[in-house]
Amino acid sequence: MREWIAVFKRGISIDNPLTVLMIGLCATLAVSTKLEGALFMGLAVIFVLGMSSIIVSSIRSLVPEQVRIPVFIVIIASFVTVVDLTMKAFLPDIYTFLGVWIPLIVVNCMILGRAEAFSYHQPVRLAIADGLGMGLGFSIVIVVLAAIRELFGSGEIVFLGARLIALPEWYRPPGVLLLFPGAFLVFGFISALAKWYNTRTSGRVVQTDAHCTIEEGVR
Amino acid sequence: MAKRAASTPLNMIGAVLATCLVAASALTVTYELTRERIIEQERAAERAALDAVLPGTGSIESAGELVAPATEAAGSVTLQGVYRAYDAAGALSGWGVRVAPRGYSGPVSMVVGLDRDGSVLGVSIITMSETPGLGTKIVTQEGWIEQFVGWQGADIDASAREFDAIAGATRSSAAVRNGVTAAGRVYAEVLSAEEGGAQ
Repeated sequence: MREWIAVFKRGISIDNPLTVLMIGLCATLAVSTKLEGALFMGLAVIFVLGMSSIIVSSIRSLVPEQVRIPVFIVIIASFVTVVDLTMKAFLPDIYTFLGVWIPLIVVNCMILGRAEAFSYHQPVRLAIADGLGMGLGFSIVIVVLAAIRELFGSGEIVFLGARLIALPEWYRPPGVLLLFPGAFLVFGFISALAKWYNTRTSGRVVQTDAHCTIEEGVR
Repeated sequence: MAKRAASTPLNMIGAVLATCLVAASALTVTYELTRERIIEQERAAERAALDAVLPGTGSIESAGELVAPATEAAGSVTLQGVYRAYDAAGALSGWGVRVAPRGYSGPVSMVVGLDRDGSVLGVSIITMSETPGLGTKIVTQEGWIEQFVGWQGADIDASAREFDAIAGATRSSAAVRNGVTAAGRVYAEVLSAEEGGAQ
């Protein structure tokens, strides 16, 4: 159980896909202009990452190495299509906002990367921890990024049609925050903050662990 | 490490085939479960777009019998529907034409509203898959799509001579223009003749 928690926490902190591994950034920067869109993007990624980790890990002994990539892609693409169709049917407004980025989760290197680097080599229970941890790590960062960009870029946060927070009238939102340069700037600060936090809380662990992330769990 | 199936041809074919079969059946089920809802949502979106481009109308009805001649009039632009709009008194007040011109990356499905004289009342884009940040400006750039308001369906080519494309979204802009001109042609060749007969 301690091992499970360690793997789970790693996805959020020292192996965070966005702030540390820096993978899957392009969708992150693109959809983080609105909190509600970012939240559902995060949920979609948690679902796809969690499910594909479970499946890849549970069939790992049946899949020969030479065809592993096509098999991973089919599995990931199926879960993404499930999300795509479900969102289209039940959350049309959010689907319109996320648009092409939902189908593009298929080619998000984060998900294929975890299948290849972790789930294909690890037992199911650890693969679940990794999938959920990585997905949650992704979601936290994208939601924080979107909240900052929406609040300071448009002066208010609107969630599912309701106004959550609004800044006072005298605040003139700089539009650049909603554009791509703003995404990079805010993301840079978040990443720096995460780095500072990681080195402070588990600095030594980062150094020793980073080299043996995969082998760590095998034993 | 756990024992892994060897990369023999049989194992490889079996693994890929089995994965694809399972994936295909799972997707079929999802598709069937969501199909009705998706069609419903699309209808609602279309209805909202028609309401937006045909202000002040009482009811809007699909004019199915006009689709065949209208498709011909639209030429290379895909026609997706023709709608009659009635005012509160029940008299014909205008037309909605749904077209899907080819954009930079796939069709741009949109509705063009025309009044009885063929003057464009509004354009609304329902779905598109243009490049985020560039081509999507055809939807997000404020005031851009209003430039089509007032174009004359009876002589659409004269109206289309002057047209502002968005920098960085030239082909997406041109797609919207092509959609509007196609709707104008549908009006000139089909709807304008229809109007007298309908009353």
